Amino acid sequence: MALSQQSGILQQGASEERGENARMASFVGAVAVADLVKSTLGPKGMDKILQSMGRGQEVTITNDGATILKSIYVDNPAAKVLVDISKVQDDEVGDGTTSVVVFAGELLREAELLVNQKVHPMTIIAGYREACDCARSVLELISFNNRSDPALFRADLLNIAKTTLSSKILTVDKEHFANLAVDAILRLKGSGNLEAIHIIKKTGGTLQESFLDEGFILDKKIGVGQPKRIEDARILVANTPMDTDKIKIYGARVRVDSMAKVADIEAAEKEKMREKVRKIIDHGINCFINRQLIYNLPEEMFADAGVMAIEHADFDGIERLALVLGGEIVSTFDNPDTVKLGHCKLIEEIMIGEDRLIHFSGVALGEACTIVLRGASTHILDEAERSLHDALCVLKETVSDARVVFGGGWPEIRMAKAVEELASRTPGKKALAMEAFARALRALPATICDNAGLDSAEIVANLKAAHGAEADSRMGVDVVRGEAGDMAELGIYESFRVRQQVLLSGTEAAEIILRVDDIIKCAPRKRG
Amino acid sequence: MPPKQKNELYKESARKKDVRTSNIEAAKAVADAVRTSLGPRGMDKMVAAPNGEVIITNDGATILQKMTVTQPAAKMLVELSKSQDVVAGDGTTSVVVICGALLKKCQELLEKGVHPTIISDSFSKASAKACEILESIAIPVDMEDREALIRAANTSLSSKVVSQYSSLLSPMAVDAVLRVMDPARPNMLDLRDIKVVAKAGGTIDDSEMVDGMVFDQKAAKSAGGPTRMEDAKVGLIQFQISPPKTDIENNVVVSDYNQMDRIYKEERNYILSVVKKIKASGCNVLLIQKSILRDAVTDLALHYLAKAKIMVVRDIERDEIELISKTLGCLPIAHVDNMKPEKLGSAKLVEEVEVGKGRVVKITGIENKGRTATVLLRGSNKMVLEEADRSLHDALCVIRCLVNKRFLIAGGSSPEVQVSMQLAHWSKTLQGMESFCVRAFAEALEVVPYTLSENAGLNPINIVTELRKLHAAGEKYAGINVKKGCITNMLEGDVVQPLLVTTSAITLATECVRMILKIDDIVPTR
Repeated sequence: MALSQQSGILQQGASEERGENARMASFVGAVAVADLVKSTLGPKGMDKILQSMGRGQEVTITNDGATILKSIYVDNPAAKVLVDISKVQDDEVGDGTTSVVVFAGELLREAELLVNQKVHPMTIIAGYREACDCARSVLELISFNNRSDPALFRADLLNIAKTTLSSKILTVDKEHFANLAVDAILRLKGSGNLEAIHIIKKTGGTLQESFLDEGFILDKKIGVGQPKRIEDARILVANTPMDTDKIKIYGARVRVDSMAKVADIEAAEKEKMREKVRKIIDHGINCFINRQLIYNLPEEMFADAGVMAIEHADFDGIERLALVLGGEIVSTFDNPDTVKLGHCKLIEEIMIGEDRLIHFSGVALGEACTIVLRGASTHILDEAERSLHDALCVLKETVSDARVVFGGGWPEIRMAKAVEELASRTPGKKALAMEAFARALRALPATICDNAGLDSAEIVANLKAAHGAEADSRMGVDVVRGEAGDMAELGIYESFRVRQQVLLSGTEAAEIILRVDDIIKCAPRKRG
Repeated sequence: MPPKQKNELYKESARKKDVRTSNIEAAKAVADAVRTSLGPRGMDKMVAAPNGEVIITNDGATILQKMTVTQPAAKMLVELSKSQDVVAGDGTTSVVVICGALLKKCQELLEKGVHPTIISDSFSKASAKACEILESIAIPVDMEDREALIRAANTSLSSKVVSQYSSLLSPMAVDAVLRVMDPARPNMLDLRDIKVVAKAGGTIDDSEMVDGMVFDQKAAKSAGGPTRMEDAKVGLIQFQISPPKTDIENNVVVSDYNQMDRIYKEERNYILSVVKKIKASGCNVLLIQKSILRDAVTDLALHYLAKAKIMVVRDIERDEIELISKTLGCLPIAHVDNMKPEKLGSAKLVEEVEVGKGRVVKITGIENKGRTATVLLRGSNKMVLEEADRSLHDALCVIRCLVNKRFLIAGGSSPEVQVSMQLAHWSKTLQGMESFCVRAFAEALEVVPYTLSENAGLNPINIVTELRKLHAAGEKYAGINVKKGCITNMLEGDVVQPLLVTTSAITLATECVRMILKIDDIVPTR
């Protein structure tokens, strides 16, 4: 079917693709994107270098599907849909960003075959929907919940964190990092506020030397001549100019006729600053943290008053500090009584690598903690942060919804089995679509095997057989030994929420793309 | 069920293979570039920057940093040497050379069809084992043992241009670190407390460690101010001695001749009053912080200060303020009204001395001196001086490593040979691919003695095999004595280095190799 540009309905430069062509274009695009990230799936998945074409040619090395998809150029509309679902997955549950794209890609690949066999897309969609409902109920059925027992629950969390981390750069030290992540999450006591977990990256050292600190670490310096250690600190967090109070009226200027008057004005300005500092000190504080610069004069005054002053704490830092210390960010100082000060037991300087940092311990918000990441290079650190973030997100989800399933392709095999049973009972062409759905589900463990250089066909067949022989088999892909293995023994657990989200969004995305039969590209906007 | 080895054969798609090969090739090229600068007989590199500036250096981290590489994997190697610089400060060339050798072995393994993740996992095990072995052959060192520390610094300096001056620079580095170190909190050692002032002219022999403080700036004497002050009271000021300037825009409106005269007079009075206040506090040496908003000190002010017999040093950077206030025991003063005697620091003597072509200001005999140190470096030209500065930094880092991890190991590549031998031995107890990869790791480590002897003009194969033989016979400390061109016991030859340098080189290089191995695609992004 030809492009209908000649129809004259569309603006010059716009184009339209119809029917077969449109469907073909979206299949090709979506499958290409899925194949791009496919090789990052699983514990033996590979990384990608993202090389920025812009200025600076920055290099990112990552294994995180969402990060890869976020940064690539995509021109194909269907591919954009997949990029979007991986982003949504990232926002919703934080992990499984690659799985969801691979799953959607597989569904589309199967759909393409069916369409070629003259199955109508709507029939495929109907089949997929029923299959998805069936798979979902199976998933709910096979999930289990250990919330009532804290020790078991912690073990679950540890296993989930390890499973998530095993596909990332942190895999060697996953024991260490899983403990870090679980400790950090359990400190939150279910509040799920990841803001309270602060991650600091410092080059040097090895990943093994990363640690969790109970308290808050600020990567800033204490002013000259001020106390370097304060116990029982009363802290005022502020966002106020401490250089000069500029008059904001445009073009304000003074006219004088003598030097003495200039000096007077200067003195008056200085006096204003002094007044401000005095007001701040009158809050009865011994530590003052400002988002903006603190100039020499106020710095000296603080030093004289024995107040620790920290300048230039950035926006993020300030907000977190206010949260952690339990104070509020202040920008006027006229009412000392109404201002809520922050508190902490001890502030002191510590040394990490070559840098000095400020450490707040015994903070008001007991949930807060800081994870200090060490690593050989900034690339490693960035990737470690992303991985740790994924793990934290998953753990957070698990804390709010404690249901857990096994990993290693176990739920997929179980779901596929149920869907196939459903297909065998379903009359009509829909059954074909359901069978296709089951195959797409099995493609996930197959991909994990392929990435590890294993014989995927054999292992998946073995898994299928094991699950067929025994109704509640716990067999999944054991990548390390390259065979089917007992997931409970290996401790490969995943969050129920993540798996469910992968299933639902993957199916939805495939459905959206399947429904398309016409792509209209608008004419590019004319420039200058 | 035994693991199915046959399934683990890894067939790469053409693209993945291309990406991985090109990454490894690029990284190897970087490693080759710095290879020849390893060891005491290593050669230097001349790097011409785009702006025409030339540096000559032997320091791996510096070479790589100045080489502007664009290939992503090559960039990772540059990062690698930078982090070795942060962790240990020395061994920046070794780490890159080891990384290159490991990658070369990886390539061979990949060609044989070993899966990258298996290589990666085995390497990480091997590196952990290597660190264990290193710790087992390490010798504890006491911070009081100055001689041992000096020997370690000597080894680090021996590969540099300034090696013939190591007898001067090593004790200097040791003393500087020991002075800065707080015995109560040794982990808080900050090398920024050691100020290095490099001044061209003279030879490196003339370098000295100053008991006090040195400023690169000259004393301001355009108005004939004093250049020598005994029993000095030093004030560190952050305000300006110049006509007033407000933060709001201001204009002074002059309507007639009389007014002009009056303004002139008022300016003088204003400055005079400031100077008087300074004088009243008893201060006789002023250190003035640089200011960008207005003149820190005007000629007129200098004139009055000279008359008041106050010595002035200008253009102190804000970054230096903390160090200065720590050293002199004075507090920075941000307003003239705060000029109080208790904020001043006192010293026996402040004087401007001639050093080569330039002049520096020296402060000696400081009361209540803080834990800081100052080293005055001299050299015949800028390039030598810069290299000396870098070398001294390396030596300082070596001592710092020893403070953090108080163990020494032998130098001259003997630890590498020992580790290589023990790993090869260990690999025999493993099975399957793992054993094969660990074996490759052990072989890769032999690149260090190989390169060292090659750079020294010795026959590398002879030397490496000889070393292997000696180590197998139990001579744990046998290494290459580059100066004599033969193999000797390194401990007797006083060639020692901190444990941390070698362990961190091996772990960091392994980490980097593993990262490169895991990459199978390069994706262009926005």
